Amino acid sequence: MFPWVYGFEWHAGYLIFLGVFFTVAVVVVSTVMLALFRTFRDFRQGRAAQLQWASNFHDLPPQHRACRHALTGELEGRVCEQNFDCRECTMHASLLAKQSSAPACCQESEIFGMPVPLDRYYHRGHTWVQAAEDGSLLIGLDELARRVIGKPDSLTLPAPGTTLVANSPALSLSRNGSEVRILSPVDGAVTAVADPGEDWLLRVKPAGNFSPRHLLSGLEVKAWYLRELERLQLSMGLPEGAPSLADGGVLVEDVASVCPKSQWDTACGDLFLNA
Amino acid sequence: MHSTHLIARGACRAPLPRFLMWIAPWVALFALGAYAMFLCLSQGLFHTNMDNRYAFGLWIFLDLTVIALGAGAFFTGFLLYVLHKKELKAVINSAVVIGLTCYSGAMVVLAVDVGQPLRAWFTYYHPNVHSMLTEVTFCITCYLVVLAIEYVPMLLKNRRLKLVPSFLVFEWELHKLMVVFALIGTLLSFFHQGSLGGLFGVLRGRPFAFREGLAIWPSTFFLFVLSAMAVGPSFVALTTWMVEKLARRPLVKPEVYDTLGRISGKLLLGYVFLKTVDTLLWINQTAPDRGFAAHRFYQHSAFGTWILFAEIALFGLLPAFILFQPKLRQRRGFLILAAVMACAGVTLNRFVLTIQTMALPTLPFDRFLSYWPSWQEFAAFGAIAAYAVLVYSFSYRYLTLFPQEREIALAEERS
Repeated sequence: MFPWVYGFEWHAGYLIFLGVFFTVAVVVVSTVMLALFRTFRDFRQGRAAQLQWASNFHDLPPQHRACRHALTGELEGRVCEQNFDCRECTMHASLLAKQSSAPACCQESEIFGMPVPLDRYYHRGHTWVQAAEDGSLLIGLDELARRVIGKPDSLTLPAPGTTLVANSPALSLSRNGSEVRILSPVDGAVTAVADPGEDWLLRVKPAGNFSPRHLLSGLEVKAWYLRELERLQLSMGLPEGAPSLADGGVLVEDVASVCPKSQWDTACGDLFLNA
Repeated sequence: MHSTHLIARGACRAPLPRFLMWIAPWVALFALGAYAMFLCLSQGLFHTNMDNRYAFGLWIFLDLTVIALGAGAFFTGFLLYVLHKKELKAVINSAVVIGLTCYSGAMVVLAVDVGQPLRAWFTYYHPNVHSMLTEVTFCITCYLVVLAIEYVPMLLKNRRLKLVPSFLVFEWELHKLMVVFALIGTLLSFFHQGSLGGLFGVLRGRPFAFREGLAIWPSTFFLFVLSAMAVGPSFVALTTWMVEKLARRPLVKPEVYDTLGRISGKLLLGYVFLKTVDTLLWINQTAPDRGFAAHRFYQHSAFGTWILFAEIALFGLLPAFILFQPKLRQRRGFLILAAVMACAGVTLNRFVLTIQTMALPTLPFDRFLSYWPSWQEFAAFGAIAAYAVLVYSFSYRYLTLFPQEREIALAEERS
C-alpha cells in the first residue's frame, strides 16, 4: 500500500490503482470534514436555528407548506419554498404591493366559535404577535392552539434574556406524554414571561426594526384559520376515525382530553409545524 | 420515554408488541446464523461443504446476488442527485437502507468465507493489484463507508435525534453534499460490480465462464455492471411494494413505480441484447477456441439448456418487454411480476456463474461435481437475510424511509 510496505511495486498498474483508491478516500473524508466544518460555522454565525427550521420545513408534506396566497385563493395550489419566511419572497412582495397588510385595528372575528382578534399578527405555527406601547412585542398562543393543547401538563418558557429566532422553537409544553415545541414568530430577546392568567406568554424586544411581513394579518387570517381547521380534521381523522369537526360545529375546549393520544400527537405535529 | 416518541409524527406504525412479534423469528434466525458463523470462524471452513475444487459456494452466490440487488442504492442516488430525477426522492432512503444491508451483509459473509478475520487488513495493506478481487475488496469497503455516510442523515432525522440542534444542522449540511457521495458511489459501484463479473470472465481454466473482452476487462465485467443497474430499480420497486403490502398503506405515488419500471425496462432490454450477443460469441467463438463445444456445458441434467433460456428469455427478455411497455408497467401486478422476474434473472445469472462454473468438468479426467451446502452455510445465509430484514424493519419503524407516506395519507383522507 505504501512504498515502504513489503510487496509495493513502482509500476503503472499499482500506482493507478492506489492513486484512485487514495483519491476516493481523500474525497470521502474531505466531504465529511467539510460538512462538519460548515456545521461549526453555522453555529458560530448564529445560523443554526434557521437551518434547523429549514430542515424541518423540508420534511413537511406539501399540504402543510401551502403559500399564504394559496390560502386566500390568489395563487391556487402554490407551495411555499421560502420556509414560511415571506421577508425573502419576491412573489409576496409583489402581491403585497397591491394590498394593505396592516392589521385591521380593533376588529374581532369569530370562526367556528373561536375568537380571532384581528388587531395582531399571526404566525403559521399558531402564535400571535402584538406590538405593545413600549415597543416590545407580546407573544401568545392563538385560540385554536389553546383549545388543541388544553391544559398542558408542563410548560417550559424561555428565561428572560434568551434570544429567539423566528421559526425556531421558543417554548415547549407537554401533554399526554407528548412534547410540543412552539415556534417563535419573531426575532428578538425575551424580556419577560407572563404571570398565570395573562393571555400572552412572552414579552420580546425585537431584534432591529420589527417587520411583520412574514406574519399573517387582516382578512387572510380567516382563510388561514379555515384551512387550519381542515388540517386539524384531517390529522385527527387519519387512522382510527377520530371525532371530527362537522360543518358549523364548535371545537371543544380541550381537544387533548377527548382525542386518542396518537392522533393528538399527530395533530400537534401538523398544527405547530413540528415535522 | 415511550417507544412511540421515536416514531415520526403522523407515521402509522404497528404497536410495539406486534412489532416485536414480527422481528422475533428473524432474531432467532439471525442468532442461529451467528452461531454457525462463529463455528466457521473459530474452528474452520470444514463446517462447510466447500473444498479445494468447489471453492465458491452458497456464500459467494449470496454475495454476488445481494450486491447486484443492492445496486439500486447507487443507481437511484445517481439518478436523483446527478440526473435530477426528482420523483426518486420518494425511494432514495429505502434504496440506501437496502444497499447498506446488502453490502454490509456481503462483507460479513465474505469475512466468514475468507476466514482469519484478524488478518483481514492484509488485503488492504498488501494489495495484489492484478487481482479483480482486490479491486472488489477495496471498492466494496469504500462503498460501504459511503453508504454508511448516506445513512447518517436519515438516522439524524429520527424524531428524538433531530431535537439535538447540532445533529439537524449537520444533517442539513451533509445532505447538501450528497451529490459527491452519489458520484463516488457510482464510480465505486461501476468498478466493483464490473470486477465481480470480471473475476469469472478471466478464469481461463474454466471455459464455461471465460470471456473475451475489451482491453483487460472481459465482457462479463460490463454485463455485470449493466445487469446490476437494470435490476437495482426493479428491486427497489419490489421492496417498496412488499413494504406497502405489509404496512397496508401506499408509501409512494404511482409515478415513482412507473419511473423505476421504465428505467429498469430500458436497461434490461439493453442488457438482454448485449447478453445475447455475448452468448452467441461465446458459443461460436470463445468456447470452441478453448476446445469445447458449447453444447457440452449443458449435457448435465441439473444444468440443461433450459437454464440458458430461463436466464435470457424468461427472466430477461420477458420482464424487459413488460417494463418497456407503458401500458403494461402501469398495471401494478404486471410491474411487480416483471420486477420479480428481473430479480430472479440476475439471481440466476449469478448462480450460473458461481455454481455451474464450479460444477462443470474442465479436464478429461474431471467429473461433474455436485455440491450441497452444509447447515452452517444455510444458517449463515439465513442470518444475512434476517439481518437485512431486521435493519430494514427498524429503519422503517423509526426513520423516514418514504417521505411521501404522510402526504399520500393526507391526500387520501381529503379525498
